[in-house]
Amino acid sequence: MMNSLSTPAATGRLKTSLSRMAGCLGIVLSLGMPVAAHADRLDDAKARGVLNVVTEDAFPPYEFITDGQPDGFHKDVIEELRKYADFKVTQEQLPWTGLLAAVSSGKYDVAITGAGVTEERLAKFDYVAPISLNVSYYITRKGDDSIKSLKDLSGKTVGVQAGSSVLASLKQLDEKLTAMGGKLGEIVEYQSYPEVYADLANGRIDYAVNSVVNAAAVVRERPDTFALGNEATSGLGFIAWPVAKGNPRMVEYLTDFVNHLRETGKLAELQEKWFGTTFPDLPHESITSVEQFKALTEAK
Amino acid sequence: MTQSAWISLLQGAWTTIWVSAAAIALGVAIGFLIAILRNARIPVLDRLLTFYVSIVRATPMITLVLFLFVSAPMLPFDVAPWVVAVAAMTINTAAFNAEIWRTALVTFPREQIEAAKACGMTEHGMMRRIMLPQMVITSMPALVNEMSLLIKSSPAIAMVGLVDLTRVTNRITAVTYEPLPPILGAALIYFLMIGALVRLQRFADKYARRLAM
Repeated sequence: MMNSLSTPAATGRLKTSLSRMAGCLGIVLSLGMPVAAHADRLDDAKARGVLNVVTEDAFPPYEFITDGQPDGFHKDVIEELRKYADFKVTQEQLPWTGLLAAVSSGKYDVAITGAGVTEERLAKFDYVAPISLNVSYYITRKGDDSIKSLKDLSGKTVGVQAGSSVLASLKQLDEKLTAMGGKLGEIVEYQSYPEVYADLANGRIDYAVNSVVNAAAVVRERPDTFALGNEATSGLGFIAWPVAKGNPRMVEYLTDFVNHLRETGKLAELQEKWFGTTFPDLPHESITSVEQFKALTEAK
Repeated sequence: MTQSAWISLLQGAWTTIWVSAAAIALGVAIGFLIAILRNARIPVLDRLLTFYVSIVRATPMITLVLFLFVSAPMLPFDVAPWVVAVAAMTINTAAFNAEIWRTALVTFPREQIEAAKACGMTEHGMMRRIMLPQMVITSMPALVNEMSLLIKSSPAIAMVGLVDLTRVTNRITAVTYEPLPPILGAALIYFLMIGALVRLQRFADKYARRLAM
């Protein structure tokens, strides 16, 4: 009896499709393979004698570049960390786009950068004790009379950085506007804040939203171009350093460092120097779960 | 724009130039190898190379750079960011160059190949003396086109932390809040870079023609 495999051509076709399936399976399996488990990154860092830190390079006043060298609040913080730690601390700068991915993939031990705590990020990262407040404020063009208060933001185009905690906080702005009978307008996402401010200045967007410290900084630098909104667009939040989940001792070590800065008064001094104000009521513990974060931001 | 801003721009330009030059040099050579191997029609290798060329040509440079950067920690050894950057750009440009070289190879006049074989030339000798000089001349415009496209897609390397010309403009703007001066400065420098490349093409073209005749 003839069956479909009896001719050489048919056998060839079967072999081809089988090999194609095997190839696809191989690709799928290798993509799905998890990264091998590892010890706490603190132990690795101590064994290596080096802590690898990553910072963004264009987020003043937390971090920015002057004459090719890192500068800003976190530069001073890392100098303090070098005095505190008994191993070397290396610092590299990355654009925000790949930064968190680089931390979670294991390339860096911690991101000592102005990262906001969000519920989505708490699924993959633990946060060291916060070093600043993360409340979103809106920024308008100076002399733009169409936006005088929060409800004027309804329906207007807003610019934020893609993948930032500020973008996530726009949900809260949406809730506030809806409660007032308005709604959130179009959201335009940019790779980093310099582009947001450029588009705000040239009129392509109606307002920008950024974390309070950064918003105050840009308005302070360019008071003739930008004006700070008079109301927050989000609830309470924190700026803290993310560490990939699964490294509790690394998080505790860095939280001890932050508390050490707090006790010696250095934290308040640096906050005053770079932000123009201190934040005395920040939590003293690491933030490792969504429930804890919700409790901390509701209690105030 | 301050002097230090211009210096930063020039330093960024240098990073762009050396990473692009390395990727171009490796990419043109590897592309040529791929074209020859595909022409030889070796069974398994042919499939693999076709797969590689199709996938890489369909992947944007930024995606490729980020993919390699995030996968690098899975390797047992430490990979420096510049290695990731050069590797990603080379992988990308080699795929396009492979197609360019393959066109030149496939459209090469058969009569010359047959005549060379009739004279008793070896494959190697034929390639070196007859085919390659003429292939270089016919492929030159397309290759230089691909080189200039590579330079213009080099801002993707900023994702791994290398500070290229475009990233410098971003850093300057973050501090001054005025984007136009550094961007115009960077545009001028890119213009000069590509202009130099095209000049080189004219020079190389004349030289190749002299060799081939």
